[in-house]
Amino acid sequence: MKPGVDPEPRGRRHFLRGGARLMALTGLAGVAGRLAPRTSAQTSVWQIDPLKCVHCSNCATECVLKQSAVKCVHAFAMCGYCELCTGYFEPEPNALTTAAENQLCPTNAIKRTYVEDPYYEYEIDEALCIGCAKCVEGCSRFGNGSMFLQIRHDRCLNCNECAIARSCPAEAISRVPVGHPYRLKTGGH
Amino acid sequence: MAHRAWLLLLFAAAALGAESRFPPPDFEGGHQVPVPTTPAARALTLEYLDVVVLVAALGLATWLVYRSRSRRGITWLSLFSLGYFGFYRRGCVCAIGAIQNIAFGAFEPGYAIPLTVLAFFVAPLVVALFFGRTFCAAVCPHGALQDLVLVKPLKVPSWLEHGLGVLPFFFVGAGVIFAATGSAFLICRYDPFVPLFRLTGSVGLLGLGAAFLVIGTVIGRPYCRFFCPYGALLRLASLAAKWRVRVTPDTCTQCRLCEHSCPYGAMREPSGGAAAAESPPIERRRLTLLLLVLPVLIGLGALAGYQLAPAAARLHPTVALAEFHLRNQASPTKYPAMTPEALSLERAAADPETLIASAKRVRQRITLASWLLGAWVGLVIGAKLIALSVRVTRTDFEPDRGGCVACARCFLSCPNERVRRGLPVEALPAAAAAEPAVAAVAADAK
Amino acid sequence: MSDVPTPHSRRQFFGKLAQGAVAFGAAPGAVFSATNPFAYDVSRFGRTDPAMIGWEEISRRTTPLPEARRIAIGAGNIVHVAAGSEIVRWKTDGALPSLKAGAMVTCLALPRDELVFAGLRDRIVSFDTEGRARVIWQAENDGSWFSGLAVSEHDIWIADSGLRVIWHCDRAGKVLGRVGQKDRERDRAGLVVPSPFLDVRLHPDGLLRVNNPGRHRVEAYTPEGDLEFTWGKPTAAVPGFCGCCNPIALAILPDGRIVTAEKGLPRVKVYASDGTFESVVAGTETFAENVRRCGNASDCTRGGLDVAVDSEGRIHILDRVTGEVRVMRPKARA
Repeated sequence: MKPGVDPEPRGRRHFLRGGARLMALTGLAGVAGRLAPRTSAQTSVWQIDPLKCVHCSNCATECVLKQSAVKCVHAFAMCGYCELCTGYFEPEPNALTTAAENQLCPTNAIKRTYVEDPYYEYEIDEALCIGCAKCVEGCSRFGNGSMFLQIRHDRCLNCNECAIARSCPAEAISRVPVGHPYRLKTGGH
Repeated sequence: MAHRAWLLLLFAAAALGAESRFPPPDFEGGHQVPVPTTPAARALTLEYLDVVVLVAALGLATWLVYRSRSRRGITWLSLFSLGYFGFYRRGCVCAIGAIQNIAFGAFEPGYAIPLTVLAFFVAPLVVALFFGRTFCAAVCPHGALQDLVLVKPLKVPSWLEHGLGVLPFFFVGAGVIFAATGSAFLICRYDPFVPLFRLTGSVGLLGLGAAFLVIGTVIGRPYCRFFCPYGALLRLASLAAKWRVRVTPDTCTQCRLCEHSCPYGAMREPSGGAAAAESPPIERRRLTLLLLVLPVLIGLGALAGYQLAPAAARLHPTVALAEFHLRNQASPTKYPAMTPEALSLERAAADPETLIASAKRVRQRITLASWLLGAWVGLVIGAKLIALSVRVTRTDFEPDRGGCVACARCFLSCPNERVRRGLPVEALPAAAAAEPAVAAVAADAK
Repeated sequence: MSDVPTPHSRRQFFGKLAQGAVAFGAAPGAVFSATNPFAYDVSRFGRTDPAMIGWEEISRRTTPLPEARRIAIGAGNIVHVAAGSEIVRWKTDGALPSLKAGAMVTCLALPRDELVFAGLRDRIVSFDTEGRARVIWQAENDGSWFSGLAVSEHDIWIADSGLRVIWHCDRAGKVLGRVGQKDRERDRAGLVVPSPFLDVRLHPDGLLRVNNPGRHRVEAYTPEGDLEFTWGKPTAAVPGFCGCCNPIALAILPDGRIVTAEKGLPRVKVYASDGTFESVVAGTETFAENVRRCGNASDCTRGGLDVAVDSEGRIHILDRVTGEVRVMRPKARA
């Protein structure tokens, strides 16, 4: 006897089963067909819309990863290169130095380097950034808003339901096609 | 004339481009303004490769179960699937979760289902419609993980097995309903094994996963049998499968050696004279009674669903925010500045009418969905009761069509199978000879 | 042998299970904790000591169009507000037809002779009495962004934020010189303008007043470009200029006192012409909506305030976020 061949006699059950199978296949085909116009060849990833973000710090705490996949990104072309950067310094710093007491960032993730008088460049060290949006709030409130949060796709696991997205008070996180996975600020007045 | 039109266009284009940004400082030393980096997400080709691997694994699993009939092959394939779909892909996207994406995409106009997700949903079902649950055997990483931690399977009492066996149907209904209304992806949210695959997660979910693994050492595949929503669909598909897993393609000699070889309680006995104890009239009466009770069950379920609709609606973020806003208006609480609560309330206060209007619309949809979910629950219970009343005539020991996960453990417990394969019959696997009575029978059979 | 379960007990079991499942799932999806350890909270700087406030509000009016940017007061105390690509006008007793500029209006100036001068980011236009616009001067260089304008009888002073310089032209549009550039030999640091808020005003003492937002000070230049003196200090406290780049707008009272407007912590203050702090016109706590929306918006360059002074010495404050114009007068001395 050949393995795998069903020895059950062709009876009513067999007929019903075949009918059910046909219905199921038709149903699946129907579902697939109806959904065909609503499919996309590209998969989707999650991204923050920086124009909607309210800098609530949930990104730092809600990600399934221990160190959040959300990092601050700096759009240098929008930056004013200020000596007193309100995204870098506490509101009333003791001095404009890199001392920890003067810095906003809780993890010292922003590097301040002198360019020329009176301009300084501020760069984010992603290994240290936790995505807490403190600098983003400072930069957006007083400055040009060149610092903003983005989900970094070399870290993000691309969960089917993003845990940060569902806790975002501004509903700023949504799906974007994998081919354009970032929503960078470009500035514009 | 055309000249001027072109110039106008050029100026317009220049103006449009120039309008864009206030220039950064003009650095004397020629400092170059850096550009933010944009690390790419996982390449699309790799996502499609996942589908190829899935189909290949399904094909291989089916071949291993039906042609090669090799338990060892299934084990190795399970290990591969655990490594690839489990720890490498971290369990996402998976066939179980794909149910939600389908439901969400069917009702949410703004969401386009990726083809890879559709493939993950359809492929195992199509295979199950022909060959049974070979996906569960060696392709699903959840099943593979549970299979591996199984040490000493205990038999779950029949009433509990059937009782808990309706839970997957509830979960598939709930998963579909909540995803279709855009409230939540519950199946993903409460998946016990994905945090283990990710090696990170909340204490609660990691604990849940660990609990499943610990229970899985003595109760085989607890998630698959009692919780997996996709398993419910595969069970139904498997019932209609063209081929079924058999202990041996050879004749069954009723030696009962395979009776306890299934760690998942899927082995069924032949319906002999004992089953005919109940005379047809009683059974027909019970069946008729249950068929009449079925609509009542559906109705009661629908009512219960309606009662739970407000709680269900609260899962949707719009409704939750609207309720939070109204609660705060009734009894205002001052939240510290810059907390998510304070910011949510500010956003709600910016345009409360639109928020409340859309929350009302969402709540209506969810109420309707809750009716349907409740009715579904009633239908499932009724269907289960009817199924239990329908007599199945069996001549051989064979795995249950819907419950068999094609793990290939039962093959080698059959002496006929061993003879067919040319294997020695004396060396029976220890797991099959669990009871002294069986060992005595084995001694007789020789 | 599978025994048939009785419907009754099974139904109860399943019912309870279903309820429990939904209740479990219906637990709030996002559990907030009402604390934010990373909160950036400047509200403590938003409170003004009432003793410092020397002005009170007379009236308030909302600009009918969105995107209000600049305010200027013309002859007859007609209020002009640049909103989008139009210049809205009104008097105390009613509105006047608005002027259509056709492009975003970034600065306004109203000399005494009833003409209206407006900057459209990289060119200056003037409107005649019929409201027709005529280009006076088109910027020669790329990157110009005119954000401030002052027009006297013979001269036009244009504050160019993009090139960080004040242009000096005659009324016909011929460039006569530049003010405020960086000059290494003469040890002039130059204007630091991180966002388009450079402003220029003509002072009765004959000197120009220019804000240098990046250095948190107001500078006084001769028309030839010599820097005479500066004043101002960077501090979030009331007498200083807060944040990274303030003040963003200036106005001159008839007696020479200087009115400053800030963003970030929006407030309007009056200083003596030598820079001594005098009083607060409107404190941060009166601009709650501005603070709220600017804080939640993606950046503050569309926020802040603008100020203008009318012939009676009243200060008009334009809230760039809400579009409201407040008229302030000095408080009566008790």
